[in-house]
Amino acid sequence: MADLIKLTGLQRYYEVGGETVKALDGVDLVINQNEYISIMGPSGSGKSTMMNMIGCLDSPTTGTYEFEGEKVHEMDDNQLASIRNRKIGFVFQTFNLLPKLTALKNVELPLIYANIPKDERLELAEIAMGKVSLTDRMHHKPNELSGGQRQRVAIARALVTNPSIILADEPTGNLDSKSGVEIMSVFDELHSEGNTIILVTHEAYIAKHAHRTIHILDGRIEKDVYNKKIRKKLNKKKATA
Amino acid sequence: MVTYVESLRMALTAIWGNKMRAALTTLGIVIGILAVTLMGTLISGLDRSFEKSMSFLGRDVLYISKHEWFGDSEWWEIRNRPDLKVDYVEKLKDQGKYVIAAAPVAMRSVNITRKDEMAMGISLAGTTTEFTQTAFMNIESGRFYTEGEDRSGARVIVIGYDVANVLFENENPIGEKVKIGNYVFRVIGITEKQGKFLGMFSLDNRAIIPMGTYQRLFSRRGWMRLEVKVDDEHIDDAKDEIIAIMRRLRGLGPEEKNDFAINQQDAFRQQYQTMKIAIGGTGFFITVLSLVVGGIGIMNIMFVSVKERTREIGVRKAIGATQASIMRQFLLEALFICLFGGCVGIVLALGGSFLIDKFVFPSTMPVSLALISLILSSVVGIVAGLAPSYKAARLDPIEALRYE
Repeated sequence: MADLIKLTGLQRYYEVGGETVKALDGVDLVINQNEYISIMGPSGSGKSTMMNMIGCLDSPTTGTYEFEGEKVHEMDDNQLASIRNRKIGFVFQTFNLLPKLTALKNVELPLIYANIPKDERLELAEIAMGKVSLTDRMHHKPNELSGGQRQRVAIARALVTNPSIILADEPTGNLDSKSGVEIMSVFDELHSEGNTIILVTHEAYIAKHAHRTIHILDGRIEKDVYNKKIRKKLNKKKATA
Repeated sequence: MVTYVESLRMALTAIWGNKMRAALTTLGIVIGILAVTLMGTLISGLDRSFEKSMSFLGRDVLYISKHEWFGDSEWWEIRNRPDLKVDYVEKLKDQGKYVIAAAPVAMRSVNITRKDEMAMGISLAGTTTEFTQTAFMNIESGRFYTEGEDRSGARVIVIGYDVANVLFENENPIGEKVKIGNYVFRVIGITEKQGKFLGMFSLDNRAIIPMGTYQRLFSRRGWMRLEVKVDDEHIDDAKDEIIAIMRRLRGLGPEEKNDFAINQQDAFRQQYQTMKIAIGGTGFFITVLSLVVGGIGIMNIMFVSVKERTREIGVRKAIGATQASIMRQFLLEALFICLFGGCVGIVLALGGSFLIDKFVFPSTMPVSLALISLILSSVVGIVAGLAPSYKAARLDPIEALRYE
């Protein structure tokens, strides 16, 4: 399987008050297609920086980042915007929907920046809304939707460009547990349809949905493990091979 | 192309979402555009009525009188100048080779009565038949008096349009009798409606009688001017010639100053130009001032808008908006707020011009000025929007997403 994401010797330093903060301090990581990954770590571990880095919102101080062969670490702002638009779907803890636009318009937004004509945009946006089972709420504004519905709109927005990865930052952090369960089942389903999903979380029960969990501590990967179920499956594969 | 249309739509949505704020913000622009267009209307109207008035004064007619129209001589100096005389006219015609026609005009204010009707404060002019050549007027009905009537002092009168209306509401005045004091005159002609001269006095509110009659009945002395029509290809030469003749007539030595004045239309033009520059300058100053203030207001509100929408900008960037598209969105927003202000200004100015046209003097709002106003407000919008839009475009998406 081709490497989807490949991080090599990745470092990200910040200058804060004359001191150098090593947010990421030498990360090597390979992510393959259709993986279901959770990134865990306590606050201040570098988990957020890691997510920003994978999401192409940030550039490394040193090291390389290849996304489907494209050298992200060499990109300028416009190229970063373009790769975010084409290959990455973001889901945020606070949903980050634009309050004045309807759900459908929110979902349409990434397609506008992808220069897609209006008719096609509408069609794709409706399909994405269908995937999160919200076709009956398309013309509602975010404040007319429940938390869980809002997050589903956000997931539809992330899906609409048919990205290579879906990057979710604490997607259930602002939801009650019932909605949280719902949202996680949406992610599970998306994964089973062939999407690559990366969850950033500090909740172990959320991380459990993923097949692989990467633990970050002090800017380094502390642990990178497959979940029990997956280990069994992989072992079985090995055995039959 | 898609992104341009969408940027436009986003900008308009954002403005619509803050209608009140946008409207208040653009007030400065409204005032600026209103000032510039109304001023244009005013000047166009002034121009029009000025030119109309000027058409009563021929370009090729010189007006000799005791005082300069726009002179700075002291009044006692003018008062001490000797009066002009009727017989100068003949001398000017004999000796001046550029003189085509000349008429003396004496004037006084009188009341004209007819039965129970009275026209008050009429300018009664005594003049000769050549007045028809030096003055720009047409006889609407009837005729002007003849040279014979002038010489013999006939009691005939040509009345202005308004005078005719006051004294003879629904009747034909020609051949009817009117009285000035105790003297009876026969109406022989009515002049065509001419309107006011520079909005000051009406040319329809006058009456004309033969010079001979005027002198016999009213006075031989008193205020008088000479109107001299000259060859319009040699106006300056004619002026020099007339000055020479007048000096000879007055017996002035080489050292003495002229004790008369030669006036012409140009004097009004120069005076008018000065006034126009003053009006234009003031208007321009007000316009620039309000546009600058308005522009700063727009810039300020755009900074607020960028600040408020920091998170939105972060989201847009995360899902793929480039710096250029963010910049475009905010620039268009500023542009449209200003354009909206410009349009409101023009609409208000249209109303204003209508009122001026109706109640002050005939005028129209120049279309070119409306276009210039729109361009001007666009420029203000773009200039005012530049800094806030640039700030928005340069926001770090990570910081912006974290912004509460």
